[in-house]
Amino acid sequence: MKKNFVSAAMTVMALAAALLLLQGPADSQAPAGDAKAPAKGGGKGKGKGKARPTGPTPRMADGKPDFSGIWNGGGPIGDIAQGLMPGEEISLTPWSKKIMDTRLTKDDPEANCLPTGVPRIAPYPWRILQTQTHIFYLFEGNIHSFRQIFIDGRPHLKDADPTWYGDSIGTWDGDTLVVDTIAYNDKFWFDFSGHPHSEQLHTIERITRPDLGALDIETQIIDPVAYTKPFKIKFSATLRPGEELMEYICQENQQDAQHLQGPAGPPK
Amino acid sequence: MAAKALILAASLGVLMTVPMLAHHSFGSEYDEKKPLKFENVTVTKLEWTNPHARFYVDVKDANGKVTNWNFELASPNVLKRNGWTKNTLKEGDKVTVIGTAAKDGASLGHAQTVVGPDGKRLFAGSNTADGN
Repeated sequence: MKKNFVSAAMTVMALAAALLLLQGPADSQAPAGDAKAPAKGGGKGKGKGKARPTGPTPRMADGKPDFSGIWNGGGPIGDIAQGLMPGEEISLTPWSKKIMDTRLTKDDPEANCLPTGVPRIAPYPWRILQTQTHIFYLFEGNIHSFRQIFIDGRPHLKDADPTWYGDSIGTWDGDTLVVDTIAYNDKFWFDFSGHPHSEQLHTIERITRPDLGALDIETQIIDPVAYTKPFKIKFSATLRPGEELMEYICQENQQDAQHLQGPAGPPK
Repeated sequence: MAAKALILAASLGVLMTVPMLAHHSFGSEYDEKKPLKFENVTVTKLEWTNPHARFYVDVKDANGKVTNWNFELASPNVLKRNGWTKNTLKEGDKVTVIGTAAKDGASLGHAQTVVGPDGKRLFAGSNTADGN
């Protein structure tokens, strides 16, 4: 298992390097959306403790919004209910209520250095790399892995194996990227609270970059096995100008999970 | 030493304003009703590793029995972004540690503050109180 994770981490680094090479020095979209963009309203330093940078939405050569950059946040951490949109509610089925009632915090995949899945976000910076055909999320932490979204018009895979990040295809609705994802596994939790899902999970994310410094992600959760009706959440990520991802191999010296006590639940 | 003092002072100022986050729920591992304060204890080892940097100190009780305690810090990346280096704490340093003990009774703690050998206070936490 550990060997697999190390291999995955190396794959991420290789992928990032390859993409940077592919984009090359003539790449005109990277500076606008990336961390080197001039930030208004920011302070000095490396993006820590600053006000959210403001400015126009960066755009690709074809005029579509460019989501590239180093981001922080953008998804649930402690409790997915914190992001519920107005009028929305989480309605568990008996199946998922039983799972939530029996989950122990020591079994949280994230605490055990496994991926967050979707829509959960770990409290570490992450990078979006955007090309005309692909969007990659490169996660610094927990774990050092990547998510890919195909925006080249292809349909979903047929008979896809269930995976941690699923099979994601994106289409543009004006300046909003609509990401449709299926083929998730049922292993990840939505939050520290242990909100579950089944392999029937289907997410529809509507992602916008209203200005330079913000990435808004609305996610509809559809899973008739786990929830009696779909619900929508919204979280916003903040640009971290001047930041770079750093290596983070969670499996290196994980000593926490064996000391975690009690049932899963919101942070306290 | 002067450089170290600067690092400690700078880190104090910055870290007090930046939430420290982790990949697990703070309240599930540590008991806020079990505060710890070990004064003038010796650092025996530093692990500059993920998901958390750790340091170990020898603590002598009233009977002279020595126990080696394991203290969790933030991840090396978070610490580096806030002015630490892998040399900020070194084996042999005499420090005072203020933190929280593990719920399960292990000789394990979460370090909120470390007072370095030069007397500077260093905020070291890896989590906010709510783990979020």
